[in-house]
Amino acid sequence: MTRSAAERIADVRRLQKAARNVIENRAALVAEIVESTGLSPEGVELGLTKHVEVHAHEAELATLVERAGDVSSVAVVLSANVFVGALRAIALARAASDDVVVRPSRRDPAFARALVEAANAFGDDQIRIDDDFDVAAVEEGEIHVYGRDETIAEMRKHARPSVRLRGHGSGMGVAWISGSAHLEKAARGLADDVVVFDQRGCLSPRIALVLGDEARASALADALHAELDRLDVSIPRGAVPADERAAAGRYVATMTYACRALVGSHHAIGVAPPGAPLVLPPPYRTLHVAACSSLEDAAKLLAPLAKGIVTVGSDDAATARQLAPPWARIASLGAMQRPPLDGPVDLRDG
Amino acid sequence: MVAAFEAGASPPEPFDLLACDLARHQAANIEGYARLCRARGVDVATLAAAADIPAVPTDAFKVTRVATFGADETLATFRTSGTTIGTRGEHVLRDVSTYDAAAVAFGRRWLARDLAQPVPVVVLGPSPEQAPDSSLVHMCAAFVKAFGHPAPSSTTYLIDADGVLDIAAFDERVAIALARVEPMLILGTSFAFVHFVDAVGKASFDLPRGSRVMQTGGYKGRSREVPPEVLRADLARVFDLDVRAIVGEYGMTELSSQFYERTLFDEQAPLGVYAEPPWARVVPVDPDTLAPVAEGAVGIAKILDLMNVDSAVAVLTQDQVRRVAGENSSGFELLGRAAGAPPRGCSIAIDEILGRKSAGSE
Repeated sequence: MTRSAAERIADVRRLQKAARNVIENRAALVAEIVESTGLSPEGVELGLTKHVEVHAHEAELATLVERAGDVSSVAVVLSANVFVGALRAIALARAASDDVVVRPSRRDPAFARALVEAANAFGDDQIRIDDDFDVAAVEEGEIHVYGRDETIAEMRKHARPSVRLRGHGSGMGVAWISGSAHLEKAARGLADDVVVFDQRGCLSPRIALVLGDEARASALADALHAELDRLDVSIPRGAVPADERAAAGRYVATMTYACRALVGSHHAIGVAPPGAPLVLPPPYRTLHVAACSSLEDAAKLLAPLAKGIVTVGSDDAATARQLAPPWARIASLGAMQRPPLDGPVDLRDG
Repeated sequence: MVAAFEAGASPPEPFDLLACDLARHQAANIEGYARLCRARGVDVATLAAAADIPAVPTDAFKVTRVATFGADETLATFRTSGTTIGTRGEHVLRDVSTYDAAAVAFGRRWLARDLAQPVPVVVLGPSPEQAPDSSLVHMCAAFVKAFGHPAPSSTTYLIDADGVLDIAAFDERVAIALARVEPMLILGTSFAFVHFVDAVGKASFDLPRGSRVMQTGGYKGRSREVPPEVLRADLARVFDLDVRAIVGEYGMTELSSQFYERTLFDEQAPLGVYAEPPWARVVPVDPDTLAPVAEGAVGIAKILDLMNVDSAVAVLTQDQVRRVAGENSSGFELLGRAAGAPPRGCSIAIDEILGRKSAGSE
């Protein structure tokens, strides 16, 4: 039986209620998530308390329902993305279907499992966990795969032609600091966006473009360095794999040579030399700051990276919209990691 | 140093002394390098060991100029083939004579030391006119000049501006060499050889006795990828050569020195182990700490290159290497690019951006 939009929204609201319950009773969950994600306990706490979309306007959910479509069943394959992403993924699936099966990430299953259990406890028995669910066995409906592009491509190979596979791959955020931005304020917001999930999300800012000269870019970097120093203490970075430490060291050496690098106990910032092509720094709290002489200059610099951009955060939404690829979300600085619950975070698929 | 090598004499000056002098020269003339040395806590004035010289990451060549001299003095600009976001690394030189002398001397040692007179040299690649910014093409041209018969460009460089391989010209050069009973020297990249092997199919191009092949470089998406041992066997079959006559070369745009397998002249030399010239050292280092790894362990290559006079005497690559000991056969194994980064959530990596055909992932 086809549900109405209102019924779908109600199902999503019930899932949000389950999420609130998970958060309220998170004591045992936090340690498990710390273990599986490598985030610090403070980082997990931040994610759970500030970045789970437990509140949403009716209009946002209406858009979510519209974007979700209407299908007989949805199988959700979660990866070890940002752990709170399970809510949005399952909400999207639940909006689309009355038959949702979830395969949590083997490495990071805790939040997804807790969420589905809570949803069941709140009376929604249309969502179930299946750890051994096989993509090739799905005969109809949709498969929503979250993960790296190569994982999605691999799943696509195994999915039956009768099944639509929707991939939600990797991405990045970009910050655009307009000419009228108050740099300290912008840095404060941007630092908040960098720290969440240790910059491992597809919305996490990796590059900040500053309208102005190198001195202004450097001033933003200084302000950001100060903000990240503060957050390094209050929300320490979690464990960093050796390969990522090496990548960060390489990035810092490159930027030290090329122009300037600021290194904190849990973060690093590189300032690009004027006119240099953009460098994509590694995640785990590493940000590349570049000056741009104009919006056009910024667009030209970003062009080679455009395919990977999921969101643009800025103090100036209007110019950010001009700069961003058409699919990218626009957010305020400090809110890049809190998009409305109106669909997938990554809108590259339309 | 190169002249002494060619004469079979000992190097006139110790490697470490020269390397440290070059590091001082580069720190004095490149603000960025001086900054990197300070950041590493290295006082170049007191540097005494090459191992202590801070290495410049190859990425630096992509984002800034790596040179002790001004742009107006630039004589040659070599560019990387560009595996990064629309960016090609640049290695600028104000004098190519050092590069050429070193390249020819070490190339002769491992490719041509037994050749008493010039031989037919064929390059499966574009001409220097078509690819003036390729260091590999520049090196091949130096080999053509040093080891080769005079021959028209059209029958020497067999890939045209459109990337089409001229098999007929190759056939013609081989026929003449066979008639004259002259060994040939064939130079090319792995992907060019793959195209060649694909083009000839099951046919063969038996080369004159004593011929040899220099094979270098990766694929970078320009042909199907073939494991090195398979390509070596394919080339040996197509050219009717012993596999040991297929000599691997390792070089990179950011360097001025090259490295070769010893297989052509040393029957005991293992395949896949590259020799260094006395003016370059390859040191496997821990990618995180940058400290040299234990003997026999795998690390990323920190390359000390005394021929990089005006750029970076120490270069940090992303290639994994392992030292191989041996009385007369020490060298390093090349183990490819460092393994992909570990799971990092859904934050994108540069390879994924390059791999995305369009915004949508469907």
